[in-house]
Amino acid sequence: MPTAPFSTELPAPQPGPVAAARRAVADVRHLLWFRSVAVRRRHVAAVALGFFALLTTAVAVGPAYLDGAGELTAGAGSQAQEFLVVLPTLLAGLLVLAVVSSVSSGGGRELLSREHGLAYPVSPTTDHLGALLLSPLNIAWMLQAWTLLGIAAYTFGPQNLWAVQLVSVLWVVAATAIAQVVAWTVEAVRRRAHGILVVRGLMLGAGAFVVLLMLTGNVTAVLDNIPTTSVLIGMLAGQEGQWLKFAATAATLLAVALAAVVLGAVPAHLAAQRSPRDELRAESGVRPARRDVGSDLMALVRIDRGSIWRSVPMRRGLMVLAIGPGLVALAGGLEWSTMTILPGLVASGAALLFGVNVWCLDARGTLWRESLPARARTVFGARVLVLTEWLLVASGITLVLASLRAGLPAAHELAALLATWLVVTVQVVSASMRWSAKRPFSVDMRSARATPAPPVVMLGYSARLAVATTMTGLVFSGMARLPYWSLSIAVAIPFVAWSLGRLLFAQQAWSNPFERARVVMTVAA
Amino acid sequence: MIAPEIQPVIDVRGLHVRFGEVEAVAGVDLQAYAGQASALLGRNGAGKSTTMRVIAGVVPPSAGYVFVAGLDITRQTLGVKHAVGYCPDVGGLIPRATPWEHLQLAARLRRMNDWEDRARDLLERFELGDVAHRVTAGFSHGMSRRLSVILAAFHEPFVLLLDEPFDGVDPIGVEATFDVIADARARGACVLVSTHLRELAIEACNTVLVLRGGERVATVTAGDMAGEEGARAYRALLD
Repeated sequence: MPTAPFSTELPAPQPGPVAAARRAVADVRHLLWFRSVAVRRRHVAAVALGFFALLTTAVAVGPAYLDGAGELTAGAGSQAQEFLVVLPTLLAGLLVLAVVSSVSSGGGRELLSREHGLAYPVSPTTDHLGALLLSPLNIAWMLQAWTLLGIAAYTFGPQNLWAVQLVSVLWVVAATAIAQVVAWTVEAVRRRAHGILVVRGLMLGAGAFVVLLMLTGNVTAVLDNIPTTSVLIGMLAGQEGQWLKFAATAATLLAVALAAVVLGAVPAHLAAQRSPRDELRAESGVRPARRDVGSDLMALVRIDRGSIWRSVPMRRGLMVLAIGPGLVALAGGLEWSTMTILPGLVASGAALLFGVNVWCLDARGTLWRESLPARARTVFGARVLVLTEWLLVASGITLVLASLRAGLPAAHELAALLATWLVVTVQVVSASMRWSAKRPFSVDMRSARATPAPPVVMLGYSARLAVATTMTGLVFSGMARLPYWSLSIAVAIPFVAWSLGRLLFAQQAWSNPFERARVVMTVAA
Repeated sequence: MIAPEIQPVIDVRGLHVRFGEVEAVAGVDLQAYAGQASALLGRNGAGKSTTMRVIAGVVPPSAGYVFVAGLDITRQTLGVKHAVGYCPDVGGLIPRATPWEHLQLAARLRRMNDWEDRARDLLERFELGDVAHRVTAGFSHGMSRRLSVILAAFHEPFVLLLDEPFDGVDPIGVEATFDVIADARARGACVLVSTHLRELAIEACNTVLVLRGGERVATVTAGDMAGEEGARAYRALLD
């Protein structure tokens, strides 16, 4: 029986680039359908998507009809004029955020996980397009996009609002596509020999550049000259009815977006041809034996800590989450009273790395772990401990960075900040443990692109965490402005008691063998 | 004089396990004895793994009577877990922990002293000594299975539960697993092996229980299941 083509046989014709691109688009459609049928509560997902669409429309239109909206010629110092000045920075900020998000997740999220897609001919182009489509399912990206749309609406007012927002939307699309190109390129470099070193060097260089700008007082000068000003000019042209200028900006943005979408496939293919060194290194490295610990709790904590800190997506995500907002706060010279917003933001992000599906740390090993003679409350306590320390480390790094230029705090400012830190940490731990038991998912967190839950679920979790912790941060920001340190402590007590109470309910649910078996069987599936 | 009745180490009567609408186990009766190795055979979805999970204390029974080593599984789950060594059918390993760390955790929770020599011996017997300090995420399927058998047998349990221990395992691993089963029987432990591989099951065990549609349909000696005749009998029991 012949097992290889005869020497005179022609090789099977390979599809051309256009046919391959068409096939990739068709595959994305199939994968989207596959993901959509796997959604458990379809009606809830449909309502949530409708709500997000409604909210986006409200944010893009509503501010244009507020008092003072579009008053760009009504004398100096109007709010609209102030927004006009910060818009180029905001546009650039969205690009930076999209780049950081895609780079840290190793090329963006997957429509089909590596493990599940292994047996199927899913091309890197399909993977690239899928990652691009999933980019908006990220609360940080969404908040930035909403902020841009809202500020653009307020700045330019109702006149030709559609034209202004068309430019905004085209910028959002172009920035996201450019970020994807950068992410795949970085991933392709990271997977080369010494690539990890090169990428870390580049990151350090970028960080050093930002610090240098701050130390030399050149931040404002650089922000005044960023190229996104031309996008702002296009928005202005749209508002004033200078259609030629507006059309040129819109066409350029559209061309850039399309070019980036097409171009992104090239580094995506390059990355796919190389092995993920970070992940392979994590899996093949030797971990020397350590001494025995003195209690069951600490033995469980040690294993859980290893599961977290040896995971590439978690480690990388923590660095981005902790250092990113810290550097922004450092650059912006954040005051102690407004710093209360940071712990909630960072703790929410850190929980989204694994906390919202906390039992997934054991993956298929959860069956064996459950067969060990450990008390349910000890297992629960260990997981709460490692999650708490994870959140505290992430938000702690951010706070240290943010405080570097803030001087010495007053007692009431420090009390408000520490109270917020404690309250949001307990809030996030409590929510994470409840959600983890209520909706467990079987996830393999090996890949840098893995998330602990499906993208739509992650979006819901991130929105709920962001709302709760931001509101808490705002409450304590108000406390920080009042000269009574004891007030923050008094306000923190009911917050902490409420969250601890809910955490205790979650622990009781975990102690129920039927509930525990449901979680274990799902995670190990 | 009436001879005293031998008490089963695993005593399952009228076991039902339901997951929502699905009844995974529908009235299984099963007895297994000290110093004996019993094989659980049956098609996919027959309820073998779920029965094993109940006996291991991982899944609570929806109805029925389950006693393991004289302990009621619903009331003395922790005691049962001390008596049992369980190799699950899927994975069974924490992906970012090393084999040594798995053994260290098991030793701690099972209150084992001077466990290191036995751990090293088992790892060598299953040819995993050179990967003892690498995380298991990079392990092949066969390596994972072998480590799962080690973890189940490590503390020399009174009840050894092996779910699909031969799946994807090379001949050396299969022989090492046979040795583990023989050692357990020799020290008086009760062994229950769930597998699809009839030939290996009858080689390792002395009794065979066949499950179909969540119920036990036969209990025969391993000899009855051997050879062509046994294959035909087994095939008939599955239909």
